[in-house]
Amino acid sequence: MEPLEVVFYLRTPVALGFPWLNFDSLLAHILLREELGERYYALPTKVPAAAAVEAHLPLKRWRDVPVASVSIFEPPSAQLQLFSFFKRGDFPFPRGRVDRARGFFKDYYLRVAYAPVQRVRFFCTGEREEVERLCRMVPALGKERNIGFGFVKRVEVREAEEEWGLVKDGKAMRPIPIEYLRWWEDAAPLAYKPPYWDKRSVKLCCVPFTRVELA
Amino acid sequence: MTASGDEWLERWREYFLAWYDEGGVEAKAEEAASFAEPYLEEGIVSVSGGKDSMAMLHILVTRCKPDLCVFHWDHGPWLMPREVEREILEGIAAVAPRARLIVREYALGSEERSRWDWRTWYKAFFSTLAQLGYRYHLLGIRADESCRRRARGRIVRRRQWTEVHPIYYFTWRDTWAYVFKHGVPFPRVYFRYARLVGWDRVRLVTFFDREFEKYGSPQLDSVLSWRWRNSPGPTGIT
Repeated sequence: MEPLEVVFYLRTPVALGFPWLNFDSLLAHILLREELGERYYALPTKVPAAAAVEAHLPLKRWRDVPVASVSIFEPPSAQLQLFSFFKRGDFPFPRGRVDRARGFFKDYYLRVAYAPVQRVRFFCTGEREEVERLCRMVPALGKERNIGFGFVKRVEVREAEEEWGLVKDGKAMRPIPIEYLRWWEDAAPLAYKPPYWDKRSVKLCCVPFTRVELA
Repeated sequence: MTASGDEWLERWREYFLAWYDEGGVEAKAEEAASFAEPYLEEGIVSVSGGKDSMAMLHILVTRCKPDLCVFHWDHGPWLMPREVEREILEGIAAVAPRARLIVREYALGSEERSRWDWRTWYKAFFSTLAQLGYRYHLLGIRADESCRRRARGRIVRRRQWTEVHPIYYFTWRDTWAYVFKHGVPFPRVYFRYARLVGWDRVRLVTFFDREFEKYGSPQLDSVLSWRWRNSPGPTGIT
């Protein structure tokens, strides 16, 4: 395991469903998709399958927290923008009248926040070869990838000077439960390990990029 | 080059203050007040705390009846974080200190379930309105908001009450111009959203509400109001 810096160079802006992307969840997603193949798209919704691959993640763990930072968007001055679009059913529509205001064929008018960034940087500590292999399998980052957001041009994985997956220059680089901290500047209920959508992963954590001291 | 937060707000404030005169907002406010006045004796003013209802409340309190009846529906901590709710109640008290304020809290609002089970909300809300027993409900609905609202008209007769829309002919510019001109208080969360979605489209709606998923609201809430995604925050209002 060595401290790593991973930089994704993007072709298109990255759409967000949360202010940050989590590097460990990105690797878990790729790993799970690789293991399950087509079955990945028919997972049970109430039993998080990510738990099965969590043990195989090529990342170091500090207590039960993966040593992997959240995304650092570059340039940092890039401000959030809004993209509005319609999501219309691409189904073999049945004959007769179809209600597109509700039900199975409902249309959606969606809005997504995107960041017009050129690079997304992560820090982690892990097995370099495996991290590199998994990162090369990432075609796009963020949300709404199917409509062109977050396309990856190339990815670079290099050795970092120090282990910055948890804390860098006194600032938290990811959500860390406050019970693992001696001091924190700001805290909020956040998921701190994959799967990030699961309520069972939520604890009171320090907020990324605020000052902390590990216990 | 992008404007800093203060510059951005100052520029918009100037624009809205200029629009107050240019758009004849004073005359529109006078018209709204004279239209609503006959309904106030047997009516109640419904205030969500958003810009439209706060502007309407200010118009009615300053020009018609300072001791009118105000109804506010508290959605509960999971749908309306307590910080925002506190600002709303403080805003109502500042605009209408002599009003008779009736606040009803949505019973299911203290449970996370309220975020996706919105059918229960409708039942609870409309039965509360019926229980209040007022003949007229004055709402801050504007024709400019949507085709559906335009089609509703300025007066809507329901089975148990009549809906009256005093600021029906206000545009989004008129509302913001009135709010900035008269210093009407509104929740600060508006700034965060207005910066991204624009002043014309920003609305105060319940947070992380699956009912508005088809408009992409919960998705935006996750980015702009991420602190409230996993928790309603402290529950009580002090």
